Amino acid sequence: MAKKIGIYICSGCDIGKSIDIEKLSQVAAEQKVNACKNHTSLCSVEGIDLINNDISTEALNGIIIAACSPRAKTEIFDFPENIILERTNLREQVAWSFEPNDENTQMAAEDYLRMSITKVNNIEVPKPFIAENISSVILVVGGGITGITSAIEGAKAGYTIHIIEKEEKLGGWLNKLHKQIPYVAPYNTLIDSEIEDKIKELEQFENIKIHTSTTIIKIDGQPGKFEVFLSVRQAGLQNSKEAMPDGRQEKITVGSIVTSTGWNPYDANKLSHLGYGIPNVLTNVEFEELVKNNPDKALPKNILFIQCAGSRDKDHLPYCSSFCCGTSLKQAKYIRDLSPESNVFVVYKDIRTLGLYEEFYKEVQKDDQIFFTKGEIEEITENDKSINVNVKDTLIGENISLSVDMIVLATGMVPNGTEVLNLNYQLGKGLPELKYNFSDSHFICFPYETRRTGIYAAGSLRAPMDIASSKEDATGAMLKAIQTIEATKRGEAVHPRSGDKSYPELYLDRCTDCKRCTEECPFGAYDENEKGTPIQNPNRCRRCGICVGSCPERVISFADYSINSVSAMIKSVEIPDEFEEKPRILVFVCENDAYPAMDMAGQKGLKYSSFIRVIPVRCIGSVNKVWISDALSQGFDGILQIGCKPGDDYQCHFIQGSELTETRGVNIQETLETMMLEPERIRTEFIEITDYHKIPEIINDYVEEIELIGPNPFKDM
Amino acid sequence: MKPVLVIGGGISGVTTAVEIAEVGKEVILIEKEPYFGGNVVKFNNYFPKLCPPTCGLEINFRRIKQNSKIKYFTSTEVQEISGEKGDFKVKIKTAPQYVKNNCTSCGKCIEVCPEERPSDFNYGFTKTKAIYLPHEMAFPYKFNIDDEYCKKELCNKCVEVCEYNAIDLSAKKEFAELEVSSIVVSTGWKNYDASKIENLNYLTSKNIITNVEFERFIASNGVGENKLLRLSDNSEPKKIAFVQCAGSRDENHLPYCSAVCCSASLKHALTIQELYPESEIKIFYIDMRVVGRNEDFLVKVQNNKNIELVKGKVGKINETENNNLILEAEDILSGRKIIYEAEMVVLATGIVPSDLGLDLLKESNGFHNIDQKYGIYVAGCGKKPMDVSASVKDATAVALKAIQIN
Amino acid sequence: MIEVKPDIEFKKQLKRISNSSLNECMQCGTCSVVCSLAPDDKPFPRKEMIWAGWGLKDKLIGNTDIWLCHQCGECSTYCPRGVKPADVFSAVRELSYQHYAKPKFLGKILNDPKWLAVAILIPVLIISAILFMAGTLQIPEGPVNYSKFFPHAWLNISFTFLWLLSMGLGILGLRNFLSDMKKQNPEIKPTGSFLKNLFSIRKEIILHSNFNTCSAQKTRKTTHLLVFYGFILLLFVTVFAIYAAVTHKYPLAITNPFKIIGNIAAIMLFAGLAIMIANRIFNKKDFGNSTYTDWLLLISLFLLTVSGVIVEAARFLNWGSAYHLYFFHLICVWFIIIYLPFTKFGHLLFRVVAMVFASSINRKLK
Repeated sequence: MAKKIGIYICSGCDIGKSIDIEKLSQVAAEQKVNACKNHTSLCSVEGIDLINNDISTEALNGIIIAACSPRAKTEIFDFPENIILERTNLREQVAWSFEPNDENTQMAAEDYLRMSITKVNNIEVPKPFIAENISSVILVVGGGITGITSAIEGAKAGYTIHIIEKEEKLGGWLNKLHKQIPYVAPYNTLIDSEIEDKIKELEQFENIKIHTSTTIIKIDGQPGKFEVFLSVRQAGLQNSKEAMPDGRQEKITVGSIVTSTGWNPYDANKLSHLGYGIPNVLTNVEFEELVKNNPDKALPKNILFIQCAGSRDKDHLPYCSSFCCGTSLKQAKYIRDLSPESNVFVVYKDIRTLGLYEEFYKEVQKDDQIFFTKGEIEEITENDKSINVNVKDTLIGENISLSVDMIVLATGMVPNGTEVLNLNYQLGKGLPELKYNFSDSHFICFPYETRRTGIYAAGSLRAPMDIASSKEDATGAMLKAIQTIEATKRGEAVHPRSGDKSYPELYLDRCTDCKRCTEECPFGAYDENEKGTPIQNPNRCRRCGICVGSCPERVISFADYSINSVSAMIKSVEIPDEFEEKPRILVFVCENDAYPAMDMAGQKGLKYSSFIRVIPVRCIGSVNKVWISDALSQGFDGILQIGCKPGDDYQCHFIQGSELTETRGVNIQETLETMMLEPERIRTEFIEITDYHKIPEIINDYVEEIELIGPNPFKDM
Repeated sequence: MKPVLVIGGGISGVTTAVEIAEVGKEVILIEKEPYFGGNVVKFNNYFPKLCPPTCGLEINFRRIKQNSKIKYFTSTEVQEISGEKGDFKVKIKTAPQYVKNNCTSCGKCIEVCPEERPSDFNYGFTKTKAIYLPHEMAFPYKFNIDDEYCKKELCNKCVEVCEYNAIDLSAKKEFAELEVSSIVVSTGWKNYDASKIENLNYLTSKNIITNVEFERFIASNGVGENKLLRLSDNSEPKKIAFVQCAGSRDENHLPYCSAVCCSASLKHALTIQELYPESEIKIFYIDMRVVGRNEDFLVKVQNNKNIELVKGKVGKINETENNNLILEAEDILSGRKIIYEAEMVVLATGIVPSDLGLDLLKESNGFHNIDQKYGIYVAGCGKKPMDVSASVKDATAVALKAIQIN
Repeated sequence: MIEVKPDIEFKKQLKRISNSSLNECMQCGTCSVVCSLAPDDKPFPRKEMIWAGWGLKDKLIGNTDIWLCHQCGECSTYCPRGVKPADVFSAVRELSYQHYAKPKFLGKILNDPKWLAVAILIPVLIISAILFMAGTLQIPEGPVNYSKFFPHAWLNISFTFLWLLSMGLGILGLRNFLSDMKKQNPEIKPTGSFLKNLFSIRKEIILHSNFNTCSAQKTRKTTHLLVFYGFILLLFVTVFAIYAAVTHKYPLAITNPFKIIGNIAAIMLFAGLAIMIANRIFNKKDFGNSTYTDWLLLISLFLLTVSGVIVEAARFLNWGSAYHLYFFHLICVWFIIIYLPFTKFGHLLFRVVAMVFASSINRKLK
């Protein structure tokens, strides 16, 4: 669409004292724009009035605010959605970072304005992708306490829920519990299993459909429209291994999914060093069932609990299973309630009753016949009548030997996978897994981050957790599932680019079926047809632009962030010839962390070379190779990419953007070789948002290095 | 449906607000400080990733700024709540807004302001001018005037220098009444007052600081600016001791476990090691409570030869003439007393819930449990001690509870 | 390696006597650090607390450290779980008097309020029997002269005999105690004779230097010194009185230097005891739990002092009830002197033996 552009240059906040505004306005005059005005304070009421007035009189559809960072005054510079808004960052990244009234500062400001004008001319207002018949139904996979809670909470918010459970009965592990730990003060009485009540509550909701003895054959589609194919087992067949689908299939359409497939106990057969295999050596789960099924059966006189049985153990489960301390305390307590003669011994590494559960620990300690010590099990031997256990590193001050009649191993939690979702996704049937096979978010501040948009994990498949945490988690995951549906209805992205209405558009005519986009999309947004051509699922997309960066044929673009728009911005920069000794460095900056860091550097008055030209990118992984070659052909002397930290503790908000930048680096070096350019002409740096004090060093170092190498031979060509 | 009111704009409140707004419902978020982010925005980093909190907050602030469903007020407190589930009336009071919203944060006022105040952001260990930007990443990004230290019209220098007419020293308190459907209380926590732990000598020794204070000592934009400095002589301490359960798990102080302090001290130890690889660190603990996959984080610390974990609670700290600190603990496993001279001591003080002033809710130790029938929900550390990730989960769960009302 | 078998009965006794919920100990070690006496190596009372929690009687009875504790109560003040190690130690000591008591029944009747009547009846009957044998079991006529009621020779001989008998029994118990202490420290061979080690701890005994660091109970050193030296002076005066009864005119005049010393000693005892009793009543927080055994000793000592003074006054003032008071006074003497190894007063034996043993294995307090 033809652009009617208004440019508004602010001279406030030292911009006017640093930059010649008149001269800058001439840049606008060179370009075809409809208005170019200055103001001493654009964010004032008069400033906004000025702009709004022009919008109505000139029918502007593109506005360039050349003033402060787009991060500042966001709510003030808020114009109707059909107008493209571009913010040229003259304050933080020019006036506050470069020498005032310097020739190079002026050149930077002018280039930035040119880039902005070019950008507005080359992008469009995104039109949201709004699919037809978006389903507001939510699927909950797994009918344990997590799934049941999630379904109830979703139903209470007015959504229709389908809950499926592979077993004949809902309730999962809670069906096997004799007692539960109290949730609230005063923590002095164990409570009965809540599962029967929960199931009853669930059954009362008309908007909850329960599918037991049911498994998923396949899930197709995307948020707003997942097609779920269910297989229902013949009634009466309990054993899921033996039972075959009786051919009865159902298809339901849902908008989003909560996965709560739960956990299984660690295989105690691997714990023979802790006595498993000896009669009367049980796991915590086996012991719970024993008491649940025979509450009147006499318990032996001396019972030993071994904590961290197979947990916190590099040969077994290296992690802490979180629930076992509480469970053993609970079991110790009910043993004493049931059997006043029994002595209970607990050998632990650390007692981990976090938070208010400390009160429960203290409550259990009150019993005269429950004995605690830290210790390491050295040897377990079976005698005629009892089991002898040698413990070292105890608190008693020496090694001790205990003669007991029963041992309960506090075994840990192993997450069930999510393969049972049978997602018909190019990238696999289940959710991607983190270390130790948990399907968790990697982000501390965004624990519900998912790499399969619209599919949220909840409960112990995410991280080891107890019942109370699972219920909280179930509720949060349900909120996210609801949110996905609502965002999808609006054609908007979900976190972290919440509200973004753009989505990638593919010009498949030029696609060579190289599959890079399907492989590199962190969210599995692309499927492939038989030929390997990508099939787009816009509602799975998170708008990071990694596919834009991945495509060698440059066929993927967003309406407001495209191969062409960035290339054009690069080309709009005026490159001084080599004799002027004014190198130009193009800096691609991740807008999530590095860009705010640069703003803060400016705000702190940190000065750095004005030879750089910054282009913010959605993710450093969205940088396409063509932008690099365009920049080098254009005469840029060096290219710096600044992204978020990769590695085990990566901070990239789009999971693998930074990592991809590293791996693509090899490919890019080949391009440099073919162009006969030095490898140093491209550098990648990774910083944290708080590393703003490192910005001058990073930039100046690189500028110095480029000055040493000398000008790009492509200049003036 | 009337909007949901979220009281308290720390990580929990901000999360609840954006999660509700992104479902498409109206939210009002109020915060008593002039900036959002609560305690966590003052943190240097999070465990176990050692990543900065402002990274996620930046995104959350962007989510607020871009979402018209969220209205927010800073420097604002609740005065009175009346009504019932579905139909609450809430009176709020906003402190005088001497700096108006058209402040551009240009910084001219700071140059002329003659008054100084202790920086609350740095727990009083540094100073700012009486007109100040709360911190670099403050949201809302605008200056604030400290009522207590500003001389107002007697000085008037900032008003004269401000080119944008953004300062009004005659501003008054503002009052408003909100009508909301449900209320989320996410007023968070304070850390326990370490001066109450007599045997640890927090008040008398400058080089004993608390864990939350340490966040500002180690932060690159904090007290020492890229250096860890101790207060007594501005030297960089190389022997640092962490005292776990300083007040927590203690009936004389906080009877409960504060859930986060073990992981926080491990985080601090690793952060010091990054800055000063040759430093020597000892962490004195009762039980090392690092659950779930964070066990890896503990193993990472155990494998660091410069960090020693000692099972045994510190019972005494005495200061030497050169302001070093002598800690005493029993190393429980060897059964020997350890007497260790450290150059700096960090007390792992615990979480005390902020007083909610709502007696509707059931409480234990000042913490509150959700009771759905009131239409008032507690999110985050007002409910129980929890870390950031758990707070965000909880805040997300509470977001759903709060919109279930209609 | 020890085989662990909790003695639940013992644990319950400890809990009952100490009034401490010792179970809730979480083994943090705060107590060992705030204790101003605990040595650096194997400090107390943290390790004793887990032994108590596990009911490990054999490790607690016959334990040296239990007696090195001077009960200042800092550990209880700072204990984060409120389990009061000081009171648990006190309870172990109480159970030790009973454990080492020979004959056993004396340990039992003197540490259990329900046997108090029997404990009183024994001296009443025995003293009456002696008086009967002496032929003086009646209230004499004329001015008050106690020797008419209890002839000096009968008194001195019978009480000295009974005291020696009781001390003999006490020494048998102490020998077992010493041998238990040796068994618990098999790795260290004691050095030096008993007397040599006793000499090496003279300062602690004479100056009460172990009480110095007690900050929670500032008055403790003073009161204990008052009672300690008041009692020793009285003992000294009593020995002289026995001698005087044989060689001099007796009773002594009120201006006699020995009489004066005796009265000063009585004032010291009275003052010390009054403060001790007041502290236990009014400052329970710092002075911990007070058991029957504590009260039995304090009250009998207090009554001994008070009755002694009254008996003395009665003689000068020729009160009619003088002989009844004198009889009562003799019962008090019995409780303190004859019952010594079986009541809390036995601490002066057990503690000294434990301190001597500690010195012999070179276990030094801080």
